[in-house]
Amino acid sequence: MNNNVKLNRWMVIAALLSAQTGYVLAQDQNGELQRLKQQLQDLEQKVRILERNKELETEASDAKAKTIPLVTLGAGGLNVSTADTNFLLKIRGYVQADSRAFVGNDEAVKGNDTFLLRRVRPIFEGVVARNFEYRLMFDFASGVTSATGNNGFLQDGYVNVHYWDEAQLQLGKMKEPVGLERLQSGANLLFIERGLPTYLVPNRDVGIQLHGKLWGNTLGYQIGYFNGVEDGGSADIETSDDGKDAAARLFLQPFDRTQIDPLKKLGVGIAVTHGSHEGALRNYGTAGQQTWFRWRTGTGATPSTANVLADGDTDRFAPQAYYYWGPFGIFGEYVISSHDVIRRPEVAPGSSRRASFDNRAWQIAGSYFITGEENSFGPVTPKRPFALGGGGWGAWEIAARIGQLEVDDDVFVDTDGVLGPDFATTASARKVRAWGVGLNWHLNRNVKASVNYLNTDFKGGSTAKGEVTAQDEDVILARVQLSF
Amino acid sequence: MKRKSFILALLAFAAVTVYAAPKEVTLLNVSYDPTRELYQEYNAVFAKYWQGKAGQKVTVQQSHGGSGKQSRSVIDGLSADVVTLALAYDIDAIAEKSKLLPADWQKRLPNNSAPYTSTIVFLVRKGNPKGIKDWADLVKPGVAIIPANPKTSGAARWTYLAAWAYALDKNNGDQAKAKEFVTKFYRNVPVLDSGARGATTTFIQRGIGDVLVGWENEAILGVKELGKDQVEIITPPFSILAEPPVTVVDKVARKKGNEAVAKAYVEHLYSEEGQELVAKHFYRPRNEAVAKKHAQQFPALKLITIDEVFGGWQKAQKTHFADGGVFDEIQKANK
Repeated sequence: MNNNVKLNRWMVIAALLSAQTGYVLAQDQNGELQRLKQQLQDLEQKVRILERNKELETEASDAKAKTIPLVTLGAGGLNVSTADTNFLLKIRGYVQADSRAFVGNDEAVKGNDTFLLRRVRPIFEGVVARNFEYRLMFDFASGVTSATGNNGFLQDGYVNVHYWDEAQLQLGKMKEPVGLERLQSGANLLFIERGLPTYLVPNRDVGIQLHGKLWGNTLGYQIGYFNGVEDGGSADIETSDDGKDAAARLFLQPFDRTQIDPLKKLGVGIAVTHGSHEGALRNYGTAGQQTWFRWRTGTGATPSTANVLADGDTDRFAPQAYYYWGPFGIFGEYVISSHDVIRRPEVAPGSSRRASFDNRAWQIAGSYFITGEENSFGPVTPKRPFALGGGGWGAWEIAARIGQLEVDDDVFVDTDGVLGPDFATTASARKVRAWGVGLNWHLNRNVKASVNYLNTDFKGGSTAKGEVTAQDEDVILARVQLSF
Repeated sequence: MKRKSFILALLAFAAVTVYAAPKEVTLLNVSYDPTRELYQEYNAVFAKYWQGKAGQKVTVQQSHGGSGKQSRSVIDGLSADVVTLALAYDIDAIAEKSKLLPADWQKRLPNNSAPYTSTIVFLVRKGNPKGIKDWADLVKPGVAIIPANPKTSGAARWTYLAAWAYALDKNNGDQAKAKEFVTKFYRNVPVLDSGARGATTTFIQRGIGDVLVGWENEAILGVKELGKDQVEIITPPFSILAEPPVTVVDKVARKKGNEAVAKAYVEHLYSEEGQELVAKHFYRPRNEAVAKKHAQQFPALKLITIDEVFGGWQKAQKTHFADGGVFDEIQKANK
């Protein structure tokens, strides 16, 4: 019995001890769990805080990025813009260093061999307040001086209000929308000097122009109202009359949005101008920039000092086209320029002082990239830019062109048979035909070297030794161009 | 000839009439962060009111963000017809820097051009696990406070000043002790959002912190959204009287031909209809009758004003929130 009681007591004690130990252990485990739970919650908070702070930092840096101006410098020049691109400034430009070498007997050829800076043009263009674009282009090249009436110093200076691609309004000094090659940038020309039709179309003029592109590049149009300049002229201000030029141009690339690759860059267009002018007329030159046709100029007091001026309507008609496919490209244009002129004094007492002349010019020019680059009316990007000691050789392009400019026969009527043509100088030729070949080496997007051989053949004009028209002009033009 | 003159006169009259009263107008209300819901509803109410009064359809566009940021946007050219910001200083800045409205704009409407008020309260997790009852509880170690950034948020500036005023009150106007208190306050801030709505997001949606310190209306909205089983509002016995002002941006409204409608827009906030909406969106109405009607929604507490403690917004801004001011010093000390 005692043994049983003792045993029971021991069992009770053992059970109590065991329960106590279990309770204590359970208590410890609970506490540990609580601590772990708390630690977990703390860690979770820390992670959430880190995540949220990261989120806020990202938001803040995104917001900051929206206010930091973007500055890029590269092949396209220096660009500075606000983050929202509502304000933009591009600083670009190009320099053309040329040489002209006339082939033939030095004594017989009038033109002088020379080195010259043909164009030195810094360009500032950009956007203000999102929809107002601007462009300022100056020229510091050889012989360019500032003058009131005919200022070559400021080439472009305009504002373009651009809310829609389809309808933009441009105001200021700009190229009149007429000649195809004239409208091509001076930095992208195929030949060192533009062809003969350019002598019959206006250069830059001050006015207002509505322009745009419809259906991508399918139809481009320009309609402008300008002060009006003479053929080949460029002016900042109208100083001779109140007449104005209306100009319109349509250019159609019918296959631009089709899948027909060979025809995508086929473009045909037509440009017309109509205006009324008084004042001096410009003479016509050659590729070597020698003058082969001059209107008569003088005091206008006597027949021997007759003076010929524009006086009345001026109309131009200029159909044009280009075609580019792969490395091949060709363009052509035809221009008729009609002028009403006045001669002082009249040819013979009582005869008409007035006349109207139609001068005509055309050209066709083509090129081929023997290195396979995509040909275009715009700039060319070599597939493998030139690099010394390896890399590529740049893009090599061969070019040829042919053209003609013919002055109206009536200009050369010699009424009195003594003083020469009634409206032109005696030494002036009636017509020129020109052909040329060229080689362009586009080292990279920014540097181009060119060499041209250009021949001009004169019909009529003086045959006196030393006169421009006495023999064909054969000139080798060379150029190194840097543009960015 | 008479007939021709008559037709011309008729045309001129028609042109003038059309010009004088366009059939539709669009207003832009540039406001601060937590007023979205209030103005969304108010705009519809006002459009109806204006259609009845002037026979003109009005569409009100809203823009919301931190009050300071919104003020800068208007200065930078955002075409606001009216501004309804968190504090007078932000509108003063518009008047001063852009000259779009007169310097004395605050005198143009009753109650300092503040048709409603609010105050700064606390929103805590259900059961108030950290036992937060007053400002002093916020600076205890281990308490995570979620306010917004006083540099960019109006609510945050009111919060900062309420904390400062509380410390002054408890320390017999001792500025050093107030600074010490506010330094401790911001030491307990793990996340500093740029606006009041962002702070609410941090506290409610991200589940960060023990207490959201901010607008009373945001706190009530938080409770409505999350439910009383998630969060609860603690109204401290002492806080600051926040007076979010409204005004017309004269030059912009005039340029857009919106002067009359913009003026009516801010004035109508004082109407009984406007005041009811204000109360509905948990702002304290100015209209005594409406305030009395909603008194149970807004517990009574001691409210100090910025003028009596800080000498007005210009002074408070310059001392505390300008670059290199006291808040910058506090932030530097807590780094």
